[in-house]
Amino acid sequence: MTYFTKTYDEAFINQDSIRTNYKKFISWYKNQDDNELTKINSDAIKFFENTGVSFKVYSSEKKENLIPFDIIPRIINSKEWDKLVKGITQRVLAINFFLTDIYSQQEIIKNGVIPVNLIQNNPAFLKQMIGFTPPNKTYNHISGIDLIKTNSDNFFVLEDNVRVPSGASYMIENRDTMIKLFPDLISRYKVSENRNYTKYLSEILKKSSPKKTKINPNIVLLTPGIYNSAFFEHAFLADKLGVELVEGKDLRVINKYLNMKTIDGWKKVDVIYRRIDDIFLDPLSFKEDSFLGVPGLMEVYRNKNVTIANAPGTGISDDKSIYSYIPDIIKFYLGQKPILKNVKTFKCGIKDELKYVLENLNKLVVKEVHGSGGYGMLVGPLASKIEISKFKNKIKKNPYNYIAQPTLSLSTCPIYTKKGLTPRHVDLRCFALLAQEKVTVTSGGLTRVALKKGSLVVNSSQGGGTKDTWILSS
Amino acid sequence: MLGSTADSLFWMFRYIERVENTLCMIESGFQLYLLSSSNLNNEWDAILRTNSIRHHFLKKNNSLDSLNIINFMLKDPKNFNNILILIEKARENARRSRGSITSEVWEAINTCWLYLNEELNKKINESKIQTIIKNTREKIALIFGFLERGMLKNEILNFCYLGTFIERFDNTVRILNTRYYLLLDEKKIRFEGYDNFQLEMILRSISSYRSFMWKNQNEIKANKVSYFLISDKDMPKSLIFCVNETIKNLRSIHKKKFSKNKSYLNALNIQKKIKQKNRNLNNYSFLNSLFQLNITLAANIEEEFNFQ
Repeated sequence: MTYFTKTYDEAFINQDSIRTNYKKFISWYKNQDDNELTKINSDAIKFFENTGVSFKVYSSEKKENLIPFDIIPRIINSKEWDKLVKGITQRVLAINFFLTDIYSQQEIIKNGVIPVNLIQNNPAFLKQMIGFTPPNKTYNHISGIDLIKTNSDNFFVLEDNVRVPSGASYMIENRDTMIKLFPDLISRYKVSENRNYTKYLSEILKKSSPKKTKINPNIVLLTPGIYNSAFFEHAFLADKLGVELVEGKDLRVINKYLNMKTIDGWKKVDVIYRRIDDIFLDPLSFKEDSFLGVPGLMEVYRNKNVTIANAPGTGISDDKSIYSYIPDIIKFYLGQKPILKNVKTFKCGIKDELKYVLENLNKLVVKEVHGSGGYGMLVGPLASKIEISKFKNKIKKNPYNYIAQPTLSLSTCPIYTKKGLTPRHVDLRCFALLAQEKVTVTSGGLTRVALKKGSLVVNSSQGGGTKDTWILSS
Repeated sequence: MLGSTADSLFWMFRYIERVENTLCMIESGFQLYLLSSSNLNNEWDAILRTNSIRHHFLKKNNSLDSLNIINFMLKDPKNFNNILILIEKARENARRSRGSITSEVWEAINTCWLYLNEELNKKINESKIQTIIKNTREKIALIFGFLERGMLKNEILNFCYLGTFIERFDNTVRILNTRYYLLLDEKKIRFEGYDNFQLEMILRSISSYRSFMWKNQNEIKANKVSYFLISDKDMPKSLIFCVNETIKNLRSIHKKKFSKNKSYLNALNIQKKIKQKNRNLNNYSFLNSLFQLNITLAANIEEEFNFQ
């Protein structure tokens, strides 16, 4: 076996020397029969096919793609994990305070911590939410925090996803699959359970109900429908939560309440776990031609007759420009030092930082504040001189619209191939749930892995796969 | 329970039942083909008419070639009721109601869909037809097994069964309708080629030949076959059995309020008509009216339970 990586590897220091987290696993692995592992690997694919785990439907042809699954677990020890939990908890709480403030008093702007133009001109800032506090003062019930390791054992936060983060179903399916594939291995380790995610999700959704007296509020999961790329996850979660999976056409506002169309007629809904974006929620308040939402929903919401999770307008806090202010946000609302670090980010809206960015474009990755999916991006080390000078002008024209980060070398983890273990870059999405100022972080999370050699792109749409993530109990 | 979920469950099971029924017919035709039977053409003609696809098939084909017909029924995109389309629709409805069925039921449907897609997208080889039919029927049995053993006995299950029995009634009444002349009183009948063999084929096309023979001391007679398919309460594909099951499930959904509902009243009406019928079947309009009533009943159900 030759195992070679230029960047930080989570399992091997070098070919002959294994890091503590992986010692037990690698010695187990070395005792396995090659043919048996090949068979287990193909069994894994079968499991996923049979359960219908898929992420993207109806591209050019009517096809569902499976997210490739790698059978080698990613292992994190309890000490590292405890720090992550504290750090994520801190971020999630601070974000909720920030949202409460930004839609009411805006103390953080008055105190000069965040420039007003970052908020005012931001499309993720919803005017419809100003002066309104959501039921139970909770905005970000469900967060997906993306973390990476670079060249040391420390995790950095890459993104806070508090709009409609997905991936929890894959985390659970991955664990189910590992237990089917390697029952003996998993019982030998003390791996913390992650499949209780849906239990906690159910609890926080119940707690978020606007009607305090109701023991069993009527909760629904709102999906754009079966052609949505994450439909599998929507159906999976509705099933595990024991709630109705609804589309906009199943819902209607009647007498100031939200109702769903049942076989016995209309029935009131208390909580919507929505998996559609803000702008589609209500054609009367947002995008007029949306068929995915419910006309009049926002009015019901403003009357506190329904809870929407996550609250509309949370996007203002996970925006790329606000991201760079999260450490300041933590200090401002919690008076604490941030536990988890951000990836170094240069705000082009600040004079000195802009100067540095313009002088070092060939080393940096520049992103549009509102861009996503790799659009409007400059990858300095790969760009031509002409591209760089063109981009320079774009930044100068509207510096507030850009941030820059150094090119990151994500850590690697071993994946299984027929030729043996080989390193690939990974990231980690952790799921945090918030209710009544209490945060629950599910043990582990979803490790995404770039399956192509050398690739840093972990996105499932571009050849990324996933792994089970093991947090070892102490 | 959402109206749209009831809709998906109902149609999921209509399509699953339709797959099973279509396969039975293909199998009965294929058996004759293997025996090079002289009745082969008549049989395929009846099967195509039962499925209302004769016209579509003959647009493309000049003769009733067995393998062409089988291919047409299994996978030809020009046939909107081909097996691939039916299983696709069944699975799509299962996906929509994924939160209401157990993961076992879902996986059973999904695996059936995966299997048929893999097998039917290859060139269909004569030697594999029986294997495909057998394996698919086993997979469908698995769906019903998990449904029966693992699901709560509540309205979710009721809608699955409503779809199943409305569809099964439709299938049996179509078969009877297509071949009603075979079932007329023997004294009155003047039909060329009439013989027991064709009665046998009716039974085979719904996989009920053995059970008929077992019940009737190995003797095939037109009136007995028609009684068996229409009025025998023990026979799971008979019209009376299907409508009884429909009534049972409607009662269970409506709880105590069933007596005023259109669907329930219409189902009772069908039951009454069948009971009143003399054992000797002698008119086409009787079957045709049952066929129409069943369509109305399905529409009543869709309307009453707020399907979409």
